[in-house]
Amino acid sequence: MGNAKTLKVGLASGALSMDPYAHNETATNSILSNIFDALIAFDKDINTHPGLAVSWTNPEPTVWIMKLRKGVKFHNGSKFNADDVVFSFNRVKTWDKSGFKGKVSAIESVAKVDEYTVKFVTKKPYPVFLRKLTYVNILDKETLEGKNDQWIGLNAIGTGPYKLTSWSKGDHIKLDVNKDHWRGVAKFDKVLFRPLTNNATRVAAILSNEVDIINRVPVVDVNRVKSNDKLDFFVQPGLRLIYLQMDQDRDNSPFIKSHDGKNPLKDVRVRKAIYYGINEDAIVKYVMKGFAEPAAQLSPKAVFGNDPSIKRAAFNPEKAKALLAEAGYPNGFEIQLDSPNNRYINDAQIAQAVASSLAKIGITVKVNATPKSTFFAETGKLKTSFFLIGWASSDGDASSILDGCVHSYNAETGYGRYNRGRYSNTKVDALIEKSAGIMDPAERLRVLQAAQKMAIVDDQNFIPLHYQVDIYASSKNITFETRTDSRIWAFDIK
Amino acid sequence: MTKYILNRLFHSALVMLTISFIVFFIMFKAGDPVELMLPPDATQQDVVDMRAALGLDKSFIVQYQKFLVNVSQGNLGNSFIYGQPALDIVFERMPATMELAVIAMILSILIGIPLGIISSIKPNSITSRIIMFFSLAGISVPVFWTGMILVLIFSVILGVLPSSGRGEVYLFTSAFTWDGIRHLIMPVVTLAVFQLALILRLTRTGMMEVLMQDYIKLAAAKGVPRKVIVYYHALKNTLIPLITIIGIQFGQLVAFTIVTETIFAWPGTGKLIIDSIQNLDRPIVVAYLLVISFIFVAINFMVDVLYTFVDPRVRV
Repeated sequence: MGNAKTLKVGLASGALSMDPYAHNETATNSILSNIFDALIAFDKDINTHPGLAVSWTNPEPTVWIMKLRKGVKFHNGSKFNADDVVFSFNRVKTWDKSGFKGKVSAIESVAKVDEYTVKFVTKKPYPVFLRKLTYVNILDKETLEGKNDQWIGLNAIGTGPYKLTSWSKGDHIKLDVNKDHWRGVAKFDKVLFRPLTNNATRVAAILSNEVDIINRVPVVDVNRVKSNDKLDFFVQPGLRLIYLQMDQDRDNSPFIKSHDGKNPLKDVRVRKAIYYGINEDAIVKYVMKGFAEPAAQLSPKAVFGNDPSIKRAAFNPEKAKALLAEAGYPNGFEIQLDSPNNRYINDAQIAQAVASSLAKIGITVKVNATPKSTFFAETGKLKTSFFLIGWASSDGDASSILDGCVHSYNAETGYGRYNRGRYSNTKVDALIEKSAGIMDPAERLRVLQAAQKMAIVDDQNFIPLHYQVDIYASSKNITFETRTDSRIWAFDIK
Repeated sequence: MTKYILNRLFHSALVMLTISFIVFFIMFKAGDPVELMLPPDATQQDVVDMRAALGLDKSFIVQYQKFLVNVSQGNLGNSFIYGQPALDIVFERMPATMELAVIAMILSILIGIPLGIISSIKPNSITSRIIMFFSLAGISVPVFWTGMILVLIFSVILGVLPSSGRGEVYLFTSAFTWDGIRHLIMPVVTLAVFQLALILRLTRTGMMEVLMQDYIKLAAAKGVPRKVIVYYHALKNTLIPLITIIGIQFGQLVAFTIVTETIFAWPGTGKLIIDSIQNLDRPIVVAYLLVISFIFVAINFMVDVLYTFVDPRVRV
């Protein structure tokens, strides 16, 4: 205590584990980013920078030689070197409960060259290599060897700007500044993270000055926060797209009733009609209270692969009706829209708004909003024809959504796991696969954009709705900086 | 007595076995936790591997059988989400819930019973009417509203009490530190309001009924002082149904502090169980419900024993 300065942060959700490989989930990643370092670090605009690696070369398309930072120590004093890197990557890849396998699946091998040099070999040329590395926090081999999963889940020993002092689950996480940190010493001596999951509670905590920062300010309380002259208010464009997927595979889709018994969603004109028939501006204005950005494509501006030439078409019910008539459904059809009700901001209300919008062009939409546990399991079994879902391009690269949602489903290669409408276009697939091996950024961008354009503009494979934004409030006593990756990184806070 | 206790224990074990089966089955049917646990960039193979790692690839019967074998060795399994032993997690959170429930209950009893007695002796006096008005409010006002209003007044406007969290903990409880007590006040009051009102009203009704009895009149006729009649003879006879209700209510308090815990970000089991149900974290849900049913069984048992002290007729 004494003069020690403590930064107090109220979070909408707490950490699930202190094991940095257990859950790839924003809240846990955010807290652990203060304790651990990865080889590569994101800045606040998700550009890559040296982390524990100081420099790297890419002598062959599949080989990366990385020079490691010297003189770095873990919180318990043990030295950081190449062995720790090899140990960490092996654990993340082979631990049976690892949630980060997807970040390292393209890496064939990691080897120590000397004390401060490691060599990575990837299976194929891997342009997003550096971005993926930002997700692999480096653990200490000496400390962890021989420890069981439970110990690792409770004890975080990293090289980051703060070290864990206590974790009382559901109540708080306390961090102390790491005076030996390689970036320098952070401004606050202590950081306190508190999970305040109830919206009203979180707002009360910042209004009563008990915390210095809160994330996810609920939109209903925005005015109370804004009008308080002791608080700053931030709106940070996020990485998550909310969109609709449609069954484009089955001739008889289970939750559609049409006059001809067919699946109208297989007709691109019907999909376009839905796009034109949804009043997204109204959804943003009334459901999201202005705190969302209408989307026309898969990747927001901050993400590599965004195509500035794709603009959102204006809401046009007349055009939508004409397209429906042209496709042979002048009187529309009946369809069920599945949506989670506890996963994304206002998810079920968005689905309701989509339904009432589409009712005006003759499509009768019945909303089926269920808890996320049911929703993801059911859509995974394709028990859906039309559903609302989100995707965060957390690598800052469009490849994740293109690989995961746009590419044809293929259980073996892992492509298209979330392509639950089973959209399939071999030309798009070819472009996506091609982009995975292009090391030249400019050329790669062109291919990513071409793939996206074909899928979203020509085929209208999805109906993009909007990108979520992150809303924060902070005390005027501190200088808070928001980040595109939604993390609260205390090192940058003054 | 020994036979009675053994009998009760056997019944309790049976109840808990049944509960474990039902919960296990419901959670099995509810969906696939792996789908929620793995990030979107995981491959189908990762999903299959994770299922195998958690033992979820087996049939229901095999999984339940394995669970029973583990339980017999005192192991309720590891949480899918937290990776720690489920029972440890529940016990780690239990003290926070227990202290809320116990203190709220003590407060309700210490205030509720005397006020109930006062309002039963002179039911039509101004004091009684005021007490009854507030007790009616206490029973009707939703817990969530009470909590939020307290936060608004004492934290946001006056700034005298912390709006949330548990404060400093000493020896498993925050009731022994000043910081802890400051954090306890609002959640305890929020939780106690309904219980207090209920106990108050039950005491009053019970007392009024007992005071009409012939033996009370006889005692009065014999010249027993009014105070002795009220606080000894009448109260003792009112207590029997009251103890049953308090026992049941205490179980309720422990099991359903969820709303209070949510409002005050109190790190108890209520919050844990809701999260675990949402995440389909079966080991925690099963462990929690087993612990709670054990508490209910234990309370009922204690209530029965208490009866024998208050009511000699039961002792036979």
